[in-house]
Formats: sequence, structure tokens, C-alpha cells
Amino acid sequence: MAMTDELRVSVSPRLSAVRSLAQMVEEFGDANELPDQQIYMINLALDELITNTVSYGLRGVSRPKIEITLQVSENRLVLTMEDNGRPFDPTRNTNPDLSSPVDERPVGGLGLHLIKTFADRVDYEYSDGKNRLVMEHDLTPAAR
Amino acid sequence: MNIEVAEERDGDALVLLPVGRLDSANARAFESIVMERVDGGEQRLIVDFSRLGFISSSGMRVLLMAAKKLHAGQGKLVLCAMPDHIHEVFRISGFDQIIPIRDTRESALGEV
Repeated sequence: MAMTDELRVSVSPRLSAVRSLAQMVEEFGDANELPDQQIYMINLALDELITNTVSYGLRGVSRPKIEITLQVSENRLVLTMEDNGRPFDPTRNTNPDLSSPVDERPVGGLGLHLIKTFADRVDYEYSDGKNRLVMEHDLTPAAR
Repeated sequence: MNIEVAEERDGDALVLLPVGRLDSANARAFESIVMERVDGGEQRLIVDFSRLGFISSSGMRVLLMAAKKLHAGQGKLVLCAMPDHIHEVFRISGFDQIIPIRDTRESALGEV
């Protein structure tokens, strides 16, 4: 596969939107022969990011907008999320302590850890009133 | 959004089988079902993943809350029959170190 294929979706700012988006990502992933594990990780990332944005970043914003773009080329998968909520840089969140016992373990922070584990590069910028988060994941030929 | 959760009893252990997807859209519904059982006095809880295709961090968070609460009251939560792609995420997140995961329902019943 030499060309780039792209999925671009405007997501309605509701928690229930993760469901229809996940289905589109699965269809796009299957059409591009992505391994199931990668499709799953993309949907995990989207679930977490959209939940955070809907619950916090976009609260009180008059015309909330979220746009998701997924691009796949021969050796790279790029997931981009843009929203017009309050500036929030998820890459600056601290990593959770994964070794603490069950009673001491904090309940949040897990999703962002999973995103950082999955993505080889994560970039964040805020400009023109928009958060823009770009996650790149290298695809190895053997995994395709 | 609701979630279908099948329930089976095996001795004094309660087995919950969430069906389909457990994500941000229905994690709240799953939380009320699980916490209702825990608050109702269940001590030996198993969550069987054999009918679940997807779980997000919001679903995993519910399991962590239940494990904490059970642990505080001398109870226990054990997970079982997890598809490989889900097991991998539990491994990456370190969840497999804090909530026991068994391959089969039988071994989960022995552990819980």
C-alpha cells in the first residue's frame, strides 16, 4: 500500500459519540488491514481523549467542536484530534504509578499512559483557539 | 447508555459477564451494577470477559474501584477469560499486577 488513506470525522461533543466513532475506526482499520491490536489501541485513545474533552475542556464552550483525523500510510499511522475547548496539554500529565498496590492506586490517569505507550511521538499545540494533539505510530512491515 | 451484564452464581461466588463494549458511553451503567453488588455484600466477585470485545480505561477504572472496595472488606475480585488484545492492555497498564487475571472461569473460582 503506497498511498495514504484518511478518515476524517466531526464528532458531536457527547460521551455517546465514542461508540459510532469506534465503529468507523474499526471499518477504516479493517479496510487498511491494520492489526486488531492497533485498532483497539486507537479506539482506547479516542475514548479517553474524547471523554476528557467533553467532560472538561469543552464545558461551557458555546459552539463545541471536535475533529478526528486518522491517516494511514505504508509505515505510519497518524491520529489527530482538534477541539476548540480550553487549552489543555495532555502530554504534560504525569505518568501514573503502575507499581502501587490496589488500595493506594489512583483511579484516574490511566488512559493517557496507554496513549503514550502506544504512540511513538505525541505532539501538542494550541493555536487559533484550538487544541491540536497529534499521535504518530510507526508501522513495521512485518506487522501489516 | 446501558450495558448488558449476565450474572451467574457459583457457590458463594458471583460471576458477572459484561456483553459487547464497555466504554465511556456505558461505564457509568456498569459502575452502578458492579457497585450495587459489592455494596450488597458480595465478597467473591469474578468478572468473566468472554463476551466482551472492548473495554476502555473508563471501564477499567470501574474494576479498580470495585477491587479497592472489596479488598478493604476482605473480599476479592478476579478477572478471567480475557481476549488477547484486552489482556495486552491490562499488562501495559500494570493492572495485571493489582487485579488477578486467570485464563479460565474454573481457575478464577479457585483464586477468588
